[in-house]
Amino acid sequence: MSEHAIELTVNGHCHATRVEARTSLGEFLRDGLGYTGTHLACEHGVCGACTVMIDGRAMRSCLMLAVQADGAEVTTVEGLAEADGTLHPVQQALKDNFGLQCGFCTPGVAITMACVTRDNAGVEAPRMEDALTTAMSGHICRCTGYQGIRRAIRQLAGAST
Amino acid sequence: MNVQAKSVGAVRYVGTRQPRKEDARLLTGRGQFTDDVRMPGMLHIAFVRSAVARGRIVSIDLDAAREMPGVQAIYTQADLAAVPVQMLSFFFTNIESPVTLLADGRVACVGDPIAMVIAESRAQAEDAVSLVEVVVEEETPLVTIADAKTGAPVHPDRDDNIAAEMGDEDALEAIQPLLDGAAHVVSTRIRHQRIAPSPMEGRACAASPDGAEEMTVWMGCQSPHLAARYLAQALGMPTGAIRVVARDVGGGFGLKNIPWREEVAVVVAAKLLRRPVKWIEDRFESLTASSHAREQDVSLSLALDEGGRFQAAWCDYACNNGAWPMGEDANIAVHMFMWPAYKLPAYGFITRGWYTNTMGLGGYRGPWAMESLVRETLLEKAARKIGIDPVELRRRNLVYLTDQPHTSSMGIPVEDITPGECLEKLMANIDYAGFRREQAEARKEGRDLGIGFATYIEPTGSAGSMAPMTGETVQLRIEPTGKVVAMLSTHSQGHGTATTMAQVIAEQLGVAYEDIAVYEGDSAIGAFSPGAAGSRQGVIAGGATWRAAEMLADKVKVVAAHLSNASVETVTIEGGMVHIAGAPEMSRSIREIAEIAYGEPGRLPEGAATGLEAQYRYQPPPMTMTSAAHCCMVEVSAETGFVKILRWISAEDCGTVINPGVVEGQIAGGLAQAIGQVLLEDMPYDARGNPLAATFKDYLMPSISDVPDFEYLHANTPSQTIGGMRGVGEGGAIVGPPTLVNAIADALAPFGEIDELVLPLTPARVLDVIEQRDVSGTRAHLDGADVAAVVEETNPAEVVAPVMAAGIDGDWNMVLKTPMGPQEMVAHFDADGAVVSGYLQAPEGRQDFSGGTLSGSQVKFEMKVEKPMKITLKYDLQFDGDTVSGKCKMGMFGSATVTGERV
Amino acid sequence: MKPAPFDYVRPASVGEACRVLAESGGGATVIAGGQTLMPLLNLRMSQPFVLVDINGIPELKGVSRVEGGTRVGPATRQADALEDETLARHLPAFITALGHVGHYQTRNRGTIGGSVALGEPAAEMPATAVSLGATIEITSSARTRSVPADEFYVGPYMTVLEPDELVTGIVYPDWPDGHLVLFREVAQRAGDFALVGLVGALALEGGAITRAGIAWFGMGPTPIRARQAEAALVGASLAGIDAEAVARAAVADTAPFDDHHASAEYRRTVGARIFARALRETLDLRSAA
Repeated sequence: MSEHAIELTVNGHCHATRVEARTSLGEFLRDGLGYTGTHLACEHGVCGACTVMIDGRAMRSCLMLAVQADGAEVTTVEGLAEADGTLHPVQQALKDNFGLQCGFCTPGVAITMACVTRDNAGVEAPRMEDALTTAMSGHICRCTGYQGIRRAIRQLAGAST
Repeated sequence: MNVQAKSVGAVRYVGTRQPRKEDARLLTGRGQFTDDVRMPGMLHIAFVRSAVARGRIVSIDLDAAREMPGVQAIYTQADLAAVPVQMLSFFFTNIESPVTLLADGRVACVGDPIAMVIAESRAQAEDAVSLVEVVVEEETPLVTIADAKTGAPVHPDRDDNIAAEMGDEDALEAIQPLLDGAAHVVSTRIRHQRIAPSPMEGRACAASPDGAEEMTVWMGCQSPHLAARYLAQALGMPTGAIRVVARDVGGGFGLKNIPWREEVAVVVAAKLLRRPVKWIEDRFESLTASSHAREQDVSLSLALDEGGRFQAAWCDYACNNGAWPMGEDANIAVHMFMWPAYKLPAYGFITRGWYTNTMGLGGYRGPWAMESLVRETLLEKAARKIGIDPVELRRRNLVYLTDQPHTSSMGIPVEDITPGECLEKLMANIDYAGFRREQAEARKEGRDLGIGFATYIEPTGSAGSMAPMTGETVQLRIEPTGKVVAMLSTHSQGHGTATTMAQVIAEQLGVAYEDIAVYEGDSAIGAFSPGAAGSRQGVIAGGATWRAAEMLADKVKVVAAHLSNASVETVTIEGGMVHIAGAPEMSRSIREIAEIAYGEPGRLPEGAATGLEAQYRYQPPPMTMTSAAHCCMVEVSAETGFVKILRWISAEDCGTVINPGVVEGQIAGGLAQAIGQVLLEDMPYDARGNPLAATFKDYLMPSISDVPDFEYLHANTPSQTIGGMRGVGEGGAIVGPPTLVNAIADALAPFGEIDELVLPLTPARVLDVIEQRDVSGTRAHLDGADVAAVVEETNPAEVVAPVMAAGIDGDWNMVLKTPMGPQEMVAHFDADGAVVSGYLQAPEGRQDFSGGTLSGSQVKFEMKVEKPMKITLKYDLQFDGDTVSGKCKMGMFGSATVTGERV
Repeated sequence: MKPAPFDYVRPASVGEACRVLAESGGGATVIAGGQTLMPLLNLRMSQPFVLVDINGIPELKGVSRVEGGTRVGPATRQADALEDETLARHLPAFITALGHVGHYQTRNRGTIGGSVALGEPAAEMPATAVSLGATIEITSSARTRSVPADEFYVGPYMTVLEPDELVTGIVYPDWPDGHLVLFREVAQRAGDFALVGLVGALALEGGAITRAGIAWFGMGPTPIRARQAEAALVGASLAGIDAEAVARAAVADTAPFDDHHASAEYRRTVGARIFARALRETLDLRSAA
């Protein structure tokens, strides 16, 4: 099995290390770098819990190899809040609306919502709501019945206009 | 002393949507789930699992696997047997099947663990797993309940595949005439699919041997206390030797009620290897090798009089227990809770659990939920058949508050339920007539709308009747800094117990919510409780916290009164400040009081303990009932068979609501699971015993577009517990399925009845009803399966009783199969002619009986017991040489089998 | 759920990629977006010796106009293709179908070539390529060839692609300006593979259909071209089209399976209905315009 030297930025911090070819990005972030906020819940690309931001785009970190992230800028859930601890608006919206229970799927949900709100900043509320809801179909939550997530979406959509 | 004075305008916490204390860490990736735990030198475990559903293990070749890089050990059952293990059910009774941690000579289902590989990484462990060669002499597996009735026993040491049996077939003799003579009889049959509980975090366990006799275990569980007690008992270790930590757990839903084979194997491996080890169940394992739920085949017949009043009912219930259930189960609770909310004079049932060569049965949110599904769907079917509105039919039969106290047909006292009141509240808040008009208009346009209702009651907060179902302990203290610390035996897998308990403390103690830190999730904290199980934490821990906070407030007041030379009655606490009535200058902060209580004992009242601490263990009433009525509106597409949920309104009565956000979150989560059960989720097996939904691509979990916005009405009738809470954890998953099925059935009514409800109601099965033909192929499939089922069940041969030559006098070891597990006892009989007396001796004590009868080799006697409730046990035993077998009728618990042999 | 060990190479050119594929004697697998391959690797259902990552080959990315059509590089991300103006102008059916592929998160990584080359029979993009008459450009160290999409698929996840070959482009022929998009699918949840679906294009002139390309997905072991329906439609005037009859003809070409999500009978029954509805709605749309 080949091993590769890679260099990537995670939440603004530079990491240079070696990885085995078969190690997924999600596993590498957790076990290699200690960013355990990213959760692996299905490892076959359906549930969305492992979603991270790679060069600004939300992607499944279980469906990508660590070696493929060489040179990438990665943001995990640990990197969403401000340095002073102020929650990212999507984190705040989830908190305000009981958008999480066990919290296992939440890191991926927050990353997707952060990407979609950024890409759609300023659009009308119905369009933002639609974009967020559509993107949320890529996440499975077993606890909440999506009620708080949907309320959080409406809060974010309302705030964007 | 219980000083209840609360100043006007005090900040209210109970009943408010406080943001959750858990969220800060969970939203920022700082939670600690089991897979986040890292220990120096930690090794990783992967299991070798059976690809064959049934057979004898001929050989296990580990040679190639042992050579793989990183492999530190490979264990089979032969290795683990060095540590004796007795697997237990949730009730701490011994598992009846010959279950071992790893397969012991035979495999009984696909996914059966055969060996465990321990390596430096999970990937390396999996590499070695793929090289372990297992040769199995394959046998024809029993997959369905029908297979189990006729096939050779799954467990060769047993006589048949009946894992558990309750109820009384003979009781049908009494019920049948009532059915025959009734104005209306309606029947239904439900085949409930198999569910994979599928918490987002699979099972997980890491174990670290800390010394010769100590072990720290991190585990995804529903109660660290229960897990620690289970492990200690199963492994024969002292209770204190095992500490279980579960900071964050990604959902449980009943699956994680108790440690099961893999988790216990991890602990044993750590003991044997003397190194920290970790096993993280992957999704493939979670779907195919975690315990499954439901899979029932249930028939129910109900007799009604001309006016639609219920007369009698008979139920035949069967549940697939799989090969290794987490406790053999005939689901007596289905029958206990099928009718107490309704006036039904006569009910009888037979209920059985069957062993098959499939993954074992485990707990899942509302394990007895079938009672609501089968009753409420049959009820609306009856309404359509008789021509009475389904709401009106309920009104004629429900037990309203004005009808209480009431006793159910099975002898359950009913005195604190509000399903009828919930229904009225629901009806007052929906425009039912308006919907019916809209429905009629839509039909003209070719659109098929439907509305469905369901009412139910649920026993919550059970305590005192079953070994693990206990009270809750709360330890509370005000630190010298004035901050409040609570140590709880609760556990949250999403329940938000740290939040709700802090709300109770803030309100009762008069301190700010932000100033309260709640610690839970560690068996070293608090005291024993089963955590999240049976919708109990809000009720029992809530009550315990309520009282402990009052006790602590009293203590603060006593100190404050003493310091101010005032009477205790004049002291109030609010917003972290302690006030003396009429003396505002004497107000002190709680911190000031605390500093004195800890640091200046001389200023405390004579004899007062230093510090500010309180502890309370709450033993609530044995059961607290929750009620609800739900309504759902759907549109069914006749073109594709797809169901769209338009509205869903819940009217529940969970008493005092501590946090509406948390309560509604519990209801919503249960309803989403209900929607999954009715429309999407299915874990089918093929004829060879292979599970067919091994990934989330095939096991369809509800996604955001499958779940509507739920609307809530809260009835808030306080219960008899401290604080007045009622449990709410499971209700949505219980009342949800019938609500949705009824709405679909209403939409489909013009096309036909759902004669036999086969779940899930896939689009193809909906078209079966609309088109009145077998579009889905379900009928063809089931008819094939039923052919196999039409074979006589094994009836114990009628023995013409010869008089027992050896006599019955003396001691007999007997086992009574009760709903809470087998109960072992010694029976002593003295026969004097045809009259028999004697006693039964169990670990709980001895009880005498007299006035029994001996006829040939048959002995009958009665015995009254007080616990768990007053019932008369009626024994009917057949003696044959040195063995005895028979039945014990246990009132509402139906009948249990008795077996035994001469001592 | 961890992949079996493999070597990873990231060639910088098509030539280099083909050389690796040739040298590995059938033991290599190409990864582009990995959105379908990675689950197979994680589940050890695919165990290559060498994984050839084509994401570093610039010439395999992007959309370009070619003689008589539009060429899509196989490593083009689905999310980028969705935003591509050339595709929107020339291949509206492609864009409609692509909007139903997977989820927002998987489209950010998944590629057009990955979806086309993998040949999942219930997926949208293989059927789209078949319906629009696309040509798959294939290269190996030894030769370069082009295969019509409807000859490319031979079974579930099986194509004519040899182990040493690489898809280098998918060329979609131009359809007349103003042609109509035919698309409908039934899936249990948003983003799931379809239980049954159809995609295609219809060109009209003077109230009659001049060209039709329609393919099913989820209706057999491969995407299936609705040849009988195409034949019935071409030359037909709008007034003379019996949508139900055409739908029946379309279903006649299919060979759906039973699985635990839906029976073959369901797929045929509902397939005929959504086909007829798609036809009616698409053509009504036109006549109303």
